[in-house]
Amino acid sequence: MEQKSMSRRKLLKLMGLGAAATTLAACQPEVVEKVVTKEVEKVVKETVEVEIEKEVETEVTRVVGEEPVEISGEIIWDTFRGVGTGWNEERISTFEEQHPDMTVEFRPLAGASQQENYAKMYAMQAAGDLGDVIAFDPSHYHFWRAIESDIIAPLDEFASAEPDGFFDQWYEWFIEIQYYQGELYGLPSWGWSGPDCMVTNKYDFDQAGIELPEPTSHDTSMDQIAEWAHELYEEGGEHFGLGLGYGEGQIVVLCRAFNGFFLNEEGTECLILEDEGAQEAFRWIYDMAVEDQILPRPGELDFEPALTAGKLSMYNQGSLHVRNWRDIIEDQEIEDRAEAWQILYPEREDGRYPSQLRGGTWNVHQGTEYPQASWEFVKHLSNTEGILGFNLYGGNYSTVRPDVMDILVARDPIHEWFLDSLENGIPARAPANSRGREYTDAISQWITIMMDPEEGMEFEEGLDMVQEEIQAVLDMPMPS
Amino acid sequence: MKRQNLYGYLCLAPWLIGFFGLFLGPSLASLYFSFTEYAVITPPRPVGLANYVKMFTRDRQFWASMRRTFYYAGVSVPLGILGSLSIAILLNQKVRGLGVYRTLFFVPSLVPIVASAVLWTWLLNADFGVLNQFLRGIGISDPPGWFSSRKWAIPSLILMNLWQSAGGTRMIIFLAALQGIPNSLYDAAFVDGANPWQRTRHVTLPLLTPAIFFNLILGIIGALQVFTAAFVATGGGPGFATWFYGLHIYKEAFDYWNMGYASALAWFFAVVIITLTLIQQRLSERWVFYYGA
Repeated sequence: MEQKSMSRRKLLKLMGLGAAATTLAACQPEVVEKVVTKEVEKVVKETVEVEIEKEVETEVTRVVGEEPVEISGEIIWDTFRGVGTGWNEERISTFEEQHPDMTVEFRPLAGASQQENYAKMYAMQAAGDLGDVIAFDPSHYHFWRAIESDIIAPLDEFASAEPDGFFDQWYEWFIEIQYYQGELYGLPSWGWSGPDCMVTNKYDFDQAGIELPEPTSHDTSMDQIAEWAHELYEEGGEHFGLGLGYGEGQIVVLCRAFNGFFLNEEGTECLILEDEGAQEAFRWIYDMAVEDQILPRPGELDFEPALTAGKLSMYNQGSLHVRNWRDIIEDQEIEDRAEAWQILYPEREDGRYPSQLRGGTWNVHQGTEYPQASWEFVKHLSNTEGILGFNLYGGNYSTVRPDVMDILVARDPIHEWFLDSLENGIPARAPANSRGREYTDAISQWITIMMDPEEGMEFEEGLDMVQEEIQAVLDMPMPS
Repeated sequence: MKRQNLYGYLCLAPWLIGFFGLFLGPSLASLYFSFTEYAVITPPRPVGLANYVKMFTRDRQFWASMRRTFYYAGVSVPLGILGSLSIAILLNQKVRGLGVYRTLFFVPSLVPIVASAVLWTWLLNADFGVLNQFLRGIGISDPPGWFSSRKWAIPSLILMNLWQSAGGTRMIIFLAALQGIPNSLYDAAFVDGANPWQRTRHVTLPLLTPAIFFNLILGIIGALQVFTAAFVATGGGPGFATWFYGLHIYKEAFDYWNMGYASALAWFFAVVIITLTLIQQRLSERWVFYYGA
C-alpha cells in the first residue's frame, strides 16, 4: 500500500473532523438510510473548509448501528497501520469518549516491512501475547492462514445483531473478502482497485500530437497502447513510451485486459497455457520486451521518477498512483512539462473493467476476553470517520466505502477516476493453498526471466517455464 | 574458595547466558525443527527426513542458490584477499600522511552494510548512476544494467563487497602480519643478493601465509553467508539472479513460514561450511608456514 504524508495543519484539521463526526454519529439512526443529512453537511462545512462546499450536495449512506452499546473493559490493539500519524490515537480517544468504561491500549508494531510485522504478530501469537484487535489481511495472504490457525475469531454472532443493511456501508467486494467458508472474520480496512490503468504523462502525448481519451474512458485498445509505446520510444532507450512492471497485480490485470485470467477462480491452476486472453497478454508483453526491445529492462528504470524526469510516458499501475503522481507534479512545480493522466484498460467482453480489487481487514483475536468490545472497536475503525481519516492522514489508502469516496471526490475530483473500477472491477484471486508470498515471488521472478531480452528465450519456452513454476507453487500443500 | 568460585561464575554469567540462551539453545532447537514441519504459529510436527529429501528433490532454488553463492564466494574471496593484501603492502610503506591513508582505506568498512547497499544501488543505477554516466561520457552508449541485469547483478555485488571489505579488518590483519616480519630476514636476504621481488616472494609471502590462511577461512565463511547486500539492493532479483543461499533460507523461514524446512537448509549449509573449513585446514599443512614454530 502507498504511504502518504500530510501537513500538521491538515492533520489537526482532520482530527477535528473525526471528533465532530463521531459526536454526531452517536445521534444517528440504527437503520441504513441514503439521505443527505444536515449533520453530514455541518461536519464537512465546519472542518474541511471551502473545497468541501460541494460535499453538502453529496448523498451519503450514513453509518448505522453506531448507537453506543454498553461495554466495558480493556482491549489491546496491535497494528502497524497508521502508526505515527495520529490516526490510531484519534480512533482510540473517540472510541473511549463513546464508551467511557472502555480503555484501548495501542501497541504499534514497528517492523521494517509489512511482512516483518506479520512475523511479529505470529510470534506474539505463539507467545500468547497477541492483542484483541489485529489485522491479518486477505490481500497479503495471511487471512485464511490466521483463520485456519485459530488466531482470528468469527464475527457473525455480533454482525447478526446489527441492523438490516449494515454491510451496505462498504463496497460489496470489500465485505466479501471478509468471509471464509461462509463466516465473517473482519471488517474492511484498506482497499483499492489495483493496477487498473496506465499512469500517463499526457504532456508527452501532446508533444507527439497524440490525442488521449478522457481519463475515465475505457475506449483505448491494448493494440493502441502498444502502438503509442512504439511511437514514443526513442532509439537507444533515450526515452521509453511504456514501462511494464511484472509484479503479480500488474500481470494479472494485463491478462484481464485481454479478456483472460491468470489464475482460476478456485486459486488452484495457473491458466496461461489454456486461457487465450492470458496468452495474448503474454504475447503482447513479449513482443515489446523481447522482440522489439522497446521496454526498459526490469529494474532499469524506476517508473515514477522516470515519468517525472521525462524519460517515460506511461507505465502500468493504478489510479491511486496517478493521483500520487499528480501531487508530485504539483509539489515539484513541473506543470510545464508534465500532466498526470490515466489510460484505463478496455472494458472486457463480460462487461467488467480490468482491475484487481484488493483489500485489508480488522480482526478480533480468538482469545480475547472482550469479544463484544473488540467488535465495537473494529466497527469504529471501519466507519466513515475511521476510513476517511485512514485515507486523509492515516497513511493508508482505503476506497472501501462509497460515502468516503463521495467525500474524497468532493475534496478532489481526481478521485472520480477511481470509481469505475471500484464499482465494476474484478476481485483479486488468491492461491487456494495460502502460498501467497511464494506465488507473488514466483510470478515476478520467472516473468522477469522470460521477458529479459538478454536471455533470448523463445515465447513458447518462456510461457511453459512460467506456467510450470507457478503451478509448482500452487500445487504445494497449505502450510500447517 | 567457594566464594571465589561464585564470583568466577558470576563474571562468566553474561557469556554463559549468551552462549546457552542465544546460541546453543536456538541452534539445537533449529536442529530439531529441521526434522519437523513448523510454521511458528502451530507446534512443530515431526516429519523425519522429509525436509532434507525435499531439499535435494523438489526445491527448485536449492542447487541454483547454492551455485550462485559459490560463484559469489569464488570470485569475491580471492579478489578481496588480493585487494586487502595490496592495500596493506601500500600502507606498510614509509610515506608522509600514512595515518590519513590508513584511516581513509578503513572507513568504508565502518559503513553499515545496509547503507552501503543503498549507496551502491544509486552509484550503479542503470539510468542515472554515476558509473553509467561516466561510461556514457567516454562513449559506451549501452553500459551494463548492473543490479538490473541478470548477468551483471552478482559482479555488482562483488564490486560493492570489495569496496567495503578490502580496506577493513582483513587489511589490518595483513598489515599487522607485515609489520611482524623481522627486519633481520629482509637484511639477510638483501645481503644474499635478493632483489625486491625475490624478497617478497621468498620472505614476505611465506611469512604472511598464516594471515592469508586466516583471512581465507573467514573470507569463505563470510562470503558463503552473503545475504544483506542482496536483500537490500536486489531482493534476490532480477529473475533470481542474486537469490543466494542465505536469502533462500530467509525467504523460506520468514516470508513463506516454512521454518522447519529453513532450519534444514541452514543445517545442511552449516555442514557444507564446516566441511570446507576442515578441508582447508588439512590443505593448509601444505602451504602455510609458521615462522618459529
